[in-house]
Amino acid sequence: MAESTAAVSVVRRVASSQPEEVARNILRRFAYLFVALALLFTVIAYSAGDVFFFRLATEALLFGGLAMGVDLLLGYAGLLSLGHALFFGLGAYVSALVLKNMAPSFWLAMLVTLVVSSAAGLVAGVIAIRARGVYFALITFGLAEVVAKAVFNTQDLGGSDGIMGVPILKISLGFFSVNSNDAGAFFLLVLVLIMALYFGLEAMLRTPFGRMIVAIKANEDRVPFLGFSAQRYKLVIFIVAANVAALSGAIYPVLRGFVSPELLFFHTSGNAVITVILGGIGTLVGPLYGSVILTALKSVVGSFTEHHLIVIGVLFMISVIFFPAGLIGYLKGRIQSRREQSRRIS
Amino acid sequence: MGSLIDTLQFVYAPQIINGLSIGVAVVLMALGLTIIFGLLDVINMAHGEFYALGAYVGVTLLAMGVNFWLALVLVPLIMAPLGYLTERLFIQRVFHQRDRHMLTLLLTFGLAIVLEDVYKLVFGPQPYSVEMPISGGSEIMGVFFPNYRLFMMAIGTLIIAAVWLVVYKTRLGAMVRAAAFDKNMASSLGVPVSVVYAATFAFGVALAGLAGILLAPIYSVFPTMGKDFILMAFSVVIVGGLGSIKGAVIAGLLLTQIQALSSLYISPSWSDPLVFGIMVAVLMLRPQGLFGRLGHG
Repeated sequence: MAESTAAVSVVRRVASSQPEEVARNILRRFAYLFVALALLFTVIAYSAGDVFFFRLATEALLFGGLAMGVDLLLGYAGLLSLGHALFFGLGAYVSALVLKNMAPSFWLAMLVTLVVSSAAGLVAGVIAIRARGVYFALITFGLAEVVAKAVFNTQDLGGSDGIMGVPILKISLGFFSVNSNDAGAFFLLVLVLIMALYFGLEAMLRTPFGRMIVAIKANEDRVPFLGFSAQRYKLVIFIVAANVAALSGAIYPVLRGFVSPELLFFHTSGNAVITVILGGIGTLVGPLYGSVILTALKSVVGSFTEHHLIVIGVLFMISVIFFPAGLIGYLKGRIQSRREQSRRIS
Repeated sequence: MGSLIDTLQFVYAPQIINGLSIGVAVVLMALGLTIIFGLLDVINMAHGEFYALGAYVGVTLLAMGVNFWLALVLVPLIMAPLGYLTERLFIQRVFHQRDRHMLTLLLTFGLAIVLEDVYKLVFGPQPYSVEMPISGGSEIMGVFFPNYRLFMMAIGTLIIAAVWLVVYKTRLGAMVRAAAFDKNMASSLGVPVSVVYAATFAFGVALAGLAGILLAPIYSVFPTMGKDFILMAFSVVIVGGLGSIKGAVIAGLLLTQIQALSSLYISPSWSDPLVFGIMVAVLMLRPQGLFGRLGHG
């Protein structure tokens, strides 16, 4: 008996010193750091009585959520989605319609979004996952364009204007409630929701299901040899990624009070891909950092010149050529190799 | 019976001719895209921006007093070195990495963002219009057609035929096809593969630029003009088969006809979704497209 517990603890120790486990721990620290920085920002912005930067930071979190969905597909399953704005926009439109026409309830809007985006993710996934590599990228791109043009042409959905006049909400959280008009409190709520999504996904990737997703990225053709259907796993991860984006999108109309068809356009999908590359592919927390960096860049450079896209585009190209791992991926690699060195010395 | 012929003559024929004239320009774009993919495996997301650049270079030349016909020759000559440099400076840097499909796609996507904003910076957001170099029209079978569109069809057909001849009937084309089929084997047989790569990219870019200046008198020239057009070119390339020259020509003419004729029955704003829908359906049912890729038959 004692022997077996000793064996288990040995196995644990071996497992915890695996490079993968080390990498995961580093990433988790980056997530804690992100929360700490966000709280620091909250204190500073709150004491300054700010509204503008709270709104901007909330938006960065929401687009960070969209990018997290893109990273889940690109960084873990190896599928580049060029049309993920489809789900972000879908969430935004569904939520706006629910809030305006059914009931001004935040949780109801999230629930309906979850149902609708699961169904949409299933349909789009069945279409898209048959294709691989660049074909997957192009099919997601095409699907998103079809839907974006269709929404743009539909007058019932506001056409090119989108949906305006989404009411201000009182979001009930059990003991207390948050008013969506209160910029600081709403930022904290969104932070909690996005981080909940992050830790949920992180936990999911540690399950056997998550291991299978990584296995598919490593070698899709060998997965069936192990007795698993790669297609089925890809479909499920596609639906999960769709929901991550849609739930982030569903919060958008609560923040801004309107939705516009631009949310569905390629511009939004492209930005999400840029965010993932800048922040760090396959890190999940990287896209959150990336989104903050991108939003900050847009707002800082945008205050000097309206041609901020040149700066962002050049930065993106440099990142692809010289730092394909992205910010967090690069830092993770540095920390990991330093640890390896110090362990070897000791 | 008489009314049927009337319908054919006065309703369908003009749409078909208009569709054809746009069609040849789309084919020029699609040819560049598909040859670049067939040889280098690169999805050139900046192809639409090179198309816009061709139009802008054309506008600049015209403003300098160059006449349209000379500009038509000069634009591809100016564009080709730019394409060569792009391949050498950017594509080559990530070309030898394992996931080069993704990296080159992302890189050209970044380039597209930068170029579009550069056009806004240099030329401003306002559209430029280019005067029709051939005015008037001709009457064919009792229907009036603008001369410039007829000219576009003629020159487009010539260029497409020339591309086909070069790729399939010359030594140069044989080198390109050999490099596309097996670059290591081609290289060991003395084909300068890296030069062929860059030159092919340059050629594709020159074709896009040519399409830009050809279409400039019909549409106006503005910074995001490439974005609207590239979607159509992508659809064509996918339906025809990525990397297939024959596919690009056939699918290009087919899809522009579908777009032209469908706009008689549905609102033109819905004909774009229709074309993308066809593209998605082809990707689902026959991801390799209608025809095989370059170097493989």
